[in-house]
Amino acid sequence: MRTKLFTLFLLVSVLISGCVTATTQAPIATAIPPTPQTIVVTSVPQTIVETVISEVLVTPTPLPNPEAVIQSVEPDAVIGFWTFWLSPTFDQYIKDTIARFNEAYPGVTVNWEDHQATFQDDLKASFAAGNAPDVINLSVSEGWVSDYASQGLLMPLDDKVPQSVKDLYFPGLWNEQLINGVNFQFPWYQGINVYLINHQVYDQTGLTIDDFPKNWTDLPALCATIKEKTGTLCDIRLTVNDLISQMVYEGNVKPISEDGTSFTFDSADAVAWLQQYVDMVKAGTVDKTVLVTDQDRVGLDLFTTGKAAFYATGPNLIREVRKNNPGLYGYLGVVPAPVGKSGVIGKGLMGISVNAQTKFPNASLALAQFFTNPKSMLEFSKIVAIYPSTPDSYADPFFSAAPVAIEDSAKPFAEDAVSKYADIVPTIPHKADVNAILLRHVQDALFNNVPAQQALTDAVTEANQLLP
Amino acid sequence: MTKKFSLTPYLFLTPALVAIAIFVVYPIFAVFYYSFTDYSIVTPPVWIGLKNYSWLIHDTIFWRSLAHSFVYLLVTPILIVLSIILAIVVNRKLPGIQAFRALFFIPVISGSIAVGIAWRLMLDTNGIINAILLSLGILKEPMQWLAEPALTLPFCMALTIWLGVGYYMMIFLAGLQNIPEELYDAAMLDGCNSWQKHWHVSIPGLRPQITFVAVISSLAALQVFNEVFTLTGSLGGILQSGYTVVFYLWQQAFRLSHAGKASAIAMALLVITLAFSITNIRLLERGTETD
Amino acid sequence: MMNQTIVKDDHSRVVLQKTTQNFFLYIILSCVAIVTVFPFLWVFFTSFKGPTDAVYSVPPQLIPHDPTFENYLRVWELLPVGRFFTNSIFVTLSVVVLNTLFTSLAAYPLAKMKFRGSNTIFYLLLVTYIIPPALTAIPSYILAVRVFHYYDHIQAAILPYLATVFNIFLLRQAYKGVPDDLIDAGRVDGASELRIWWDIVVPIIRPSLATVAIITFVEQWNNFFWPSLVLPTMTNKTLQVGLVALQGAFLNDSRGIAAGVVMTVVPMIIFFLLLQKQFIRGLTGAVKG
Repeated sequence: MRTKLFTLFLLVSVLISGCVTATTQAPIATAIPPTPQTIVVTSVPQTIVETVISEVLVTPTPLPNPEAVIQSVEPDAVIGFWTFWLSPTFDQYIKDTIARFNEAYPGVTVNWEDHQATFQDDLKASFAAGNAPDVINLSVSEGWVSDYASQGLLMPLDDKVPQSVKDLYFPGLWNEQLINGVNFQFPWYQGINVYLINHQVYDQTGLTIDDFPKNWTDLPALCATIKEKTGTLCDIRLTVNDLISQMVYEGNVKPISEDGTSFTFDSADAVAWLQQYVDMVKAGTVDKTVLVTDQDRVGLDLFTTGKAAFYATGPNLIREVRKNNPGLYGYLGVVPAPVGKSGVIGKGLMGISVNAQTKFPNASLALAQFFTNPKSMLEFSKIVAIYPSTPDSYADPFFSAAPVAIEDSAKPFAEDAVSKYADIVPTIPHKADVNAILLRHVQDALFNNVPAQQALTDAVTEANQLLP
Repeated sequence: MTKKFSLTPYLFLTPALVAIAIFVVYPIFAVFYYSFTDYSIVTPPVWIGLKNYSWLIHDTIFWRSLAHSFVYLLVTPILIVLSIILAIVVNRKLPGIQAFRALFFIPVISGSIAVGIAWRLMLDTNGIINAILLSLGILKEPMQWLAEPALTLPFCMALTIWLGVGYYMMIFLAGLQNIPEELYDAAMLDGCNSWQKHWHVSIPGLRPQITFVAVISSLAALQVFNEVFTLTGSLGGILQSGYTVVFYLWQQAFRLSHAGKASAIAMALLVITLAFSITNIRLLERGTETD
Repeated sequence: MMNQTIVKDDHSRVVLQKTTQNFFLYIILSCVAIVTVFPFLWVFFTSFKGPTDAVYSVPPQLIPHDPTFENYLRVWELLPVGRFFTNSIFVTLSVVVLNTLFTSLAAYPLAKMKFRGSNTIFYLLLVTYIIPPALTAIPSYILAVRVFHYYDHIQAAILPYLATVFNIFLLRQAYKGVPDDLIDAGRVDGASELRIWWDIVVPIIRPSLATVAIITFVEQWNNFFWPSLVLPTMTNKTLQVGLVALQGAFLNDSRGIAAGVVMTVVPMIIFFLLLQKQFIRGLTGAVKG
């Protein structure tokens, strides 16, 4: 009897789970009814205004939508849009913006999906499957735009977008992550690189917030002091997926020769940069797991638990800290990030790119541009501490208002900082492989007592074999 | 009596053979082919002859991964010894013994991923393990457990052992219960004490189970992936200390998009597991003979 | 009189020996049990800790002062944990049912029928047995993505496992144990081979079928490598893959991760506890003494 019941239970659960599983989640699509159009017909001597569609609206849209700047958008286009780690917090914002997009470009259906920790895996697989999304939010700071663009998977934008549109963006941001001089992304929301300070720990060092290093090269000394006075470790991260970029910004290193025939990241500058990290590891002043993790959130985690004096991040992540450790919020301070030897304070954070194989190029361009236009980005800035890539947004009184909460503390200098963002990393061929080689040798120097110079030279030798 | 030709045996075999042909036979040929190409999955394969193999032979990381996979074989004897001891201990009619047996099986049923995640949390620099050791005074400073290259593989192996003990304990338990009482009585009469009794009766009696577990466990040890992935993420441990052959294969194929190189690694894996697989087959066949 | 006392003394000494022995046994068992169960206990308690309960503290605090369900709610809202579950159940049960069916069908002629090519097929199967699963991943992936287009569909997790050579061998052994006369009797009676198989033979090898089912069940439930490659969309992920996604989504939230782990592990534990006997009986039928 028990066996019979069991078999029945099995069958029922298979059926139920099969039914549940079979219903796929409906994609989020927004489509709106047609708006009545008005056509101005000029004939001598009168001007007659005719309404073409039978519906009569009390307040029609009198002019073409000022935000509709891309021409020849395909009617009845259906495009896929992937964002990175924005759901569920910003669900409403995305949906509202899509709705506004449809006012400017009616007839375009947008299927929006948000992907998180597995974004890269999912995207690579979808490219392999041939069903990658048409419009993709990519991380500029992690080098994803150059990754995909160098494989020919993204649409080059310079000749597809009118100059008037290009001028909407800060030039430094439009020209980021160029592949052979061509741009592949619409600059989206930017972060301001700041360091969050945990006063509970930091104050024990006896230093004040003004003493916090302005230059990156002074950080190791601070870490030593922190270790000595508080016993905590420094929460510093190597961007293990893009070490070259970090080398360039922090250490002012030139990674590849002018003619692109040989790698040069074993120069004196590079050695000096690596040596600083080696020294910190030897002195035991950094948390080793955070140093080489590939997930930024591991570093944030350490800070959120209140065990670190500072952490390099953006004001937009303060909400994460607050959510997970409200007690810490009151002890937070913010300082602008120390500048690396290169003198350039940073590069862009996020961009939106278009799939080179999209069936609806103009609709995709329109969506990408719409999300990154001044109005959309201003709206975004109002709900979270991110910063627009368009100068026009900063004209809004929102940015000239004095900062209230700690999340707003970057507002006064945001425009200035963002306008100075520039991508100073040259195009690196076989970037993923070069990075893997570099990561291996950097670990040898950090953890295996290989001298920094030797580690880097070995890395260069190995990487050069990849070049023709 | 003439033998009539019948389709029946073939019909019985068809579903399984079709599945195996598509998902096992075809892949072996495909992988063999890919190992001679440069293939990124997104773009079509390009023939490059033996380049992947010569790369493999000279690749220190591959040899390191291989060494790690062989070191991993150590879990097998440890697992066998621990499981047998546990089986012997729980093989008695004490009140509550059922509860203990079930308890030991819980890691198996929870899955390697869930357990691996729990371990990773516990081994954090600020995790509970450090907290306990600090408050007991055993440590002065928290240790960064998963950042020590020398400890990465041992932790993965410990996780495997922790997960496997319950599973194999059950197998040995059943084996023990199949050993006739008379053998133990005879041993007692001969003057054996408790431990000698087990050494002379239980262990030989468990021979089939021991061989079975040895082969299964070795094959699994050579192909470890889950434990490394949950404890070290995609980094594979500092200084590649957690790299195993399958981990390296996965990284080459699905992180760096080098399906050709990964296929060469796969062929190497085939050779490595060959000896163990053949032993496995021989054992299964010997089982048929004793029937 | 003297003899009786001696016997009584011996008896009580033996009883004392046994009690001390049992006492030590319980101690050992409890120690092992604590080591086994501790991670689960810690995860369990952490999942109920509110924001004010320290997760990381020295000395460590195990029991939450301020227990709350909000971690569970948070995880439930953010990730389709229920879907992870049903997906895993669907995949696992499908594989178990289909695999057991196909392999039990296939093993029968190899054990009990004479036909042309039986040896060839058997040796071919033997050869394919040496192929490690990881090797087949890349071409299977390409099949899923390029050829059959079931990438990101739940079938992708099921199809590669429809038949395994190990199970065929195991069942072939089981069939060999079935006396031939029963089968011959059926054949003489004119019953179809399928009939004979289903009505006569299958009931006899039921324990081995249970073994195959259970081994396959545990394997599939724990399977991570392959499903992680072919199920990218969150709502399609199986439990193990979803757990890793959970860890990625909640990396800075240990309480959330703990809640997620508990949610996925507890149902399995309950399931196992209810069906302990069947489980163990099936599992241990794997190796005949």
